[in-house]
Amino acid sequence: MSDIGKIRIRVPSNVKAGDVVRVRCLVIHPMEIVQRDAQGKIIDRNYNYITRVTATYLGKPVVAFDLTQSVSENPAFSFALKATAPGPVKVTFVDTHGGKYEATADIAFA
Amino acid sequence: MRSLPRLRWAALALLVTGCALAARESTPVASPGRTSRAIAEARGDVRVSPDGKRTAVRYAGWTTRDFGAFRSYAYDDVRPEPPVQKAVMPMGVVGDPKKGRALFLDRQKGPCSGCHLVPGDDVWPAGSVGPDLSTLADRTLPDAYLYQQLWDPRVTFPVTVMPPWGAQGVFTPEEIVHLVAYLQTLHGPPPPEKDADRNPFTRRKPTGFGDNLDPTNNPAVVRAEEAQALWSARGPKGKACADCHAGLPQTAMRGVATRYPRVVAEYGRVMSLEDFLSVHAAATTGRALPSESAANLDVTLLVKMASNGLPVAVDTTSPAARAAIERGRASFYRRVGERNHACADCHTPDHGANKFLGGRFLGDVTGGLTRHSPTWRTSQNDVWDMRKRMQWCMTPLGANMLAADAVEYAELELYLTTFDVGKPINAPGIRH
Amino acid sequence: MAGAMTRRSALGTFGAVGAALATGTLSIGTPARAQAQGQSQALGLQESVQDGLKRVFGGRPMKDGAALIKLDIPPIAENGAVVPVSVEVNAPMTPASHVKSIWIVADKNRIPIIAKATLTPEAGQAFVGANVRLGETTDVRAIVEQSDGTLLTAKREVKVTVGGCGG
Repeated sequence: MSDIGKIRIRVPSNVKAGDVVRVRCLVIHPMEIVQRDAQGKIIDRNYNYITRVTATYLGKPVVAFDLTQSVSENPAFSFALKATAPGPVKVTFVDTHGGKYEATADIAFA
Repeated sequence: MRSLPRLRWAALALLVTGCALAARESTPVASPGRTSRAIAEARGDVRVSPDGKRTAVRYAGWTTRDFGAFRSYAYDDVRPEPPVQKAVMPMGVVGDPKKGRALFLDRQKGPCSGCHLVPGDDVWPAGSVGPDLSTLADRTLPDAYLYQQLWDPRVTFPVTVMPPWGAQGVFTPEEIVHLVAYLQTLHGPPPPEKDADRNPFTRRKPTGFGDNLDPTNNPAVVRAEEAQALWSARGPKGKACADCHAGLPQTAMRGVATRYPRVVAEYGRVMSLEDFLSVHAAATTGRALPSESAANLDVTLLVKMASNGLPVAVDTTSPAARAAIERGRASFYRRVGERNHACADCHTPDHGANKFLGGRFLGDVTGGLTRHSPTWRTSQNDVWDMRKRMQWCMTPLGANMLAADAVEYAELELYLTTFDVGKPINAPGIRH
Repeated sequence: MAGAMTRRSALGTFGAVGAALATGTLSIGTPARAQAQGQSQALGLQESVQDGLKRVFGGRPMKDGAALIKLDIPPIAENGAVVPVSVEVNAPMTPASHVKSIWIVADKNRIPIIAKATLTPEAGQAFVGANVRLGETTDVRAIVEQSDGTLLTAKREVKVTVGGCGG
């Protein structure tokens, strides 16, 4: 069973209203790099890599990343959000092969 | 993966144990011809084609060069170290310092800069295992002395860790003449250092890759979490690990990893978790977990992590364990390969430990190097156990790797683990 | 499940793999193709960093952001496969004035414009991080665009190291 698309999110635990908190997430993904043949010519094919990450909080967009093959395999991302109310942080990853992977973590107030 | 019928396997185990009982203190336990239970690329096989060409079968991307001409770790490889060779500098070759400098930095050879610092903004990254050669020419050593040093330094320094480059054929006599010519240009004072990191004696140490147990940082943790289902999954014999080891692995297997590697009487040899799983899983559940397969590493991770926080407690007192540890220690100090290196050359404080080999900060065995294994390797984007790490070391040293589950590696791993005794297990690690 | 295996207790829940959408057919981006498609801001192109910056920013002036931008990146990367980068900008994040975008650029990479982060005021702080690939020792730049169009930049050199004996 492939782990591609498996996501982990970390949010801090003792959050108060108004805190700016940092969220970190990791997704298992090959982020295939550009390959070249023996002559050094780029092999033109549909490489599988994540092009877009979107993060929402309480349903509203917080941050989005547009990515390239210069981003690491199994990439980790961090961003900030202003905690206004308890509720979900959702991250979504989309790759070039049509894969869409989502996960949610809850901001809970202390 | 081959699976012997139970009776034949038991008979084989008895035979092996019998050999061990007969000559426990001095003879290796495993017979050299023992079948490996590793995946194909981890067996250390060397294929011979009809034209006689020898090609090693190894992991994808690893060199396929056969280093059979050089001593390996195999217990039945009784060849001595290469004999110490005196050398005479050839006449009629004019040394070219430019050629010499290119050879000094050539990564296909040493590079010499892996151990020795020399001047130049393009020298990145030089190492500090050997002395700084930036002002070597000030010592006005004769060419012939330097030639001998590069041909075989053991003539002058019998216990040096520097390889006998000429004697082993890594450099030709002509190339060594060029190297000597280059070294004789290195007069002081050296140019002022613009960058403290260029110089390995002042370079900043690596800072690592952060929290190894954080699944948003270490993909190996995610992999282990996702593999938990393997514990209760039925194998071909209709049984699961959980049938005998009830519950989740973190409770059922708590404490088990602290005792590995250990002498497993049933199989008559030292086994790590990986080794044991490669025989035990098939024998009980019917599931094949060949050494170095993803599934073997997954279950090893589960079992190892179940002991996180518990101190390593391998047996170091029974006669069988003591004998195995002694053989492992002998392997640790055994010179092998084209480079004629021992593990000790890089990984003990007397020699390379805590110094830079090129850009790599060398680990110190006395600090314990096994409790974080299996480890996530960021450079490989994969989990590596101790055996793969040992196998990898064989290719830069220029020695054929053995099978991942070779008893030689198991006893070496047990020796290494004695330095982790009393320290808490903390797996999976995350490293370069 | 996560807490039992690791010592982290404040982990969020993890999600499931979503259903795959229709497969697109993307091929290697070239500047010419991007031009033809009118995508001056397109990412993923193999180009020199000068060409990339010109293409994306069109020669707009960039102010020295060293005082405001904290570009956190190891000075020596043990390998080029995983290099953690984070960018933090000391600037407000209000609807009226906020950091809109942050680009991460590596001069010597074949694909030098590595990633672009787009922020909203809800972020509360202009902070983003990502693990990037570096092909070789290179300057790494953070280019910050504020909501009024001002561009700021800061850079640091990252040396990518290699072993001394085959690794």
